[in-house]
Amino acid sequence: MSVTTPARSHRVALTRAYHFSAAHRLSTPALGPEENARLYGPCHRPHGHNYYVEVTVTGPPDPQTGMAFDLRVLDAAVERAVVGEVDHRALEDVPLLAGVITTGEGLARAFFHTLEAELPHGTLAGVVVQETAKNRFEYRSGA
Amino acid sequence: MTDVASSTRRFTFSAGHRYQVDAWSATENERAFGRLTIPHGHNYTVDVTVRGPIDATTGMMMDLAELKRVVAETVVERFDHADLNADPLFRGKVPTTENIAIVIWDLLAPKLGLERLARIRVFEDPTLWVDYEGA
Repeated sequence: MSVTTPARSHRVALTRAYHFSAAHRLSTPALGPEENARLYGPCHRPHGHNYYVEVTVTGPPDPQTGMAFDLRVLDAAVERAVVGEVDHRALEDVPLLAGVITTGEGLARAFFHTLEAELPHGTLAGVVVQETAKNRFEYRSGA
Repeated sequence: MTDVASSTRRFTFSAGHRYQVDAWSATENERAFGRLTIPHGHNYTVDVTVRGPIDATTGMMMDLAELKRVVAETVVERFDHADLNADPLFRGKVPTTENIAIVIWDLLAPKLGLERLARIRVFEDPTLWVDYEGA
């Protein structure tokens, strides 16, 4: 039935998708108002998105429970440390995003580092931020 | 640069399962798994990815009709509208999304070949999926 070889670790990647809605505007402190408006165009105006965040953890399933990661632990950590912080907020006012230019890639990197500190060492593999159905940003471990 | 491509085909099946370790008491199972110990079901989606060189004559990496036939016979017919806990492949093994991905890999690897099978992705629902690449 199986092609199992003793060398296999059965390492899987488990991804869970979360959702929040928030307001933001792109602006860099390095530039003045006119230059910011020119650089970011419509994104410099306060606006908002329905964000989707995909969090990927890796590891072998526990031989007894079959779980690589307890989803209740993952859900609780992401809800507390990320979703609960940013949902229905202006992202520029959120403490975990202090100093972050809230581009999709900037959010993915900030959420990755926030969650890396919350989850067991070495388990977080990547974070994807989907800003709209057309925009997808990924930040991976070691990136 | 070798002329290698990946093809992914999506399959679906609906199946029942529950999280239960037979060696544990009801209380221990309840503590470990919560409501997942209650028999329930999902509409599973499986993305099967094969990888290899593009055939110079046919322009195909793999005949997707063959892939469709193999996965339908080996996986979908076996698991669709089935109780996963009753399948011998899950004897002594909780049918978690993780284990389902590994079991599907083990079913398909002998039929498709390890040189072609690249990844199994199993969605339990749109918010939860597991990738297994045979590592």
